[in-house]
Amino acid sequence: MKKKKVIMVTMTIILLIVICYFAFQFVNQNQDIEDAIEQEFRSLRIYMEEIYAIEFLDDDRAMVFYSWAHPDFSNFGVMELEKTWRGWQFVEAISNRMERKNAWLKGVYAEITDHAILRGPTWASVDKIVIITDDGREYTPELGKAERQIWYLILEDEPFEEATFILYDSDGEVLREEVLQFDLNS
Amino acid sequence: MKLSLKYKVLMIVILSVFTAFSLYYFVTKLQQEQAVTEALIDYRNITREYGLDAVYKSKEYPIEVELYPTAHTEAILERWKAISERYPELDYPKAAIEAEDWLTVEESLEDTDVLKEVVDQMYEDSTIPPEGAGASFTTLFNYIKYHQYDTQYIEEVLIDLGIEPLKETD
Repeated sequence: MKKKKVIMVTMTIILLIVICYFAFQFVNQNQDIEDAIEQEFRSLRIYMEEIYAIEFLDDDRAMVFYSWAHPDFSNFGVMELEKTWRGWQFVEAISNRMERKNAWLKGVYAEITDHAILRGPTWASVDKIVIITDDGREYTPELGKAERQIWYLILEDEPFEEATFILYDSDGEVLREEVLQFDLNS
Repeated sequence: MKLSLKYKVLMIVILSVFTAFSLYYFVTKLQQEQAVTEALIDYRNITREYGLDAVYKSKEYPIEVELYPTAHTEAILERWKAISERYPELDYPKAAIEAEDWLTVEESLEDTDVLKEVVDQMYEDSTIPPEGAGASFTTLFNYIKYHQYDTQYIEEVLIDLGIEPLKETD
């Protein structure tokens, strides 16, 4: 009789663990990343932010591009999230100050976890950017839109200190050419 | 089932120890969370106010945030230093700036009496404002922090005293 009771209790505990595991998995799979991002901002005590883009590096890694601080939103952030058994979790975040006023384009180099990123604000009328480096490499960075606009590039090869940026409008006309320099030690 | 006194005492001791440890754990955890929250608020405010770059390596206990000055920070410090050089009663926290201790730097600009005293002296030293014109401590604070001219004559006073360069005319 006593042995039967022990088996029953053990079986119940195992069953509860299995149910909890699947419940966690279910919640995890169905967690909305935007809710998770919102929660991470709140825990960072950032309340006024603009999210421009969410870039999925793979199924379990994502980068969020945003700017914050009312009224000019001149602090440009990138936050890396990782999906764990507890859902999307904060890994690291970087915030860089860049003034927008009177500038077609600004940019900064930053390293977050093991990724090298270039990013900055650009005018809303810019529809496409082509980057040409001094050694002839060519990139087309992504544009992230909210009320304002940013460009960003997750580098997969060697970073560069200087490059020419060609800005196009929606008709494919060149709006402007700018040369930007990047401090790779920042 | 009747339990012996010895067993009852043992149970009470075990439960008391467990409760004490649990309480200690939760109180410590609560204190740590409160400290983290306060630190994150400070880091957010100081990053925004001084236009700093920030790297958040950990936002949980032990918190790890690195702050770096930018061109925006340098511009604030230059305005602050220029005023302080002429009016030394306004402390320019050179040591804290060099140590990049931004929370201490912020504290140095919190004495409203000193700010008021300095802005009053500036209006007195300048030949521009008419008699009776004045400004509040926020005028000087807003100039240093945000490069704002929020009161009549302040821009002219700053140019007159050689703190701001003369405006170029087309």
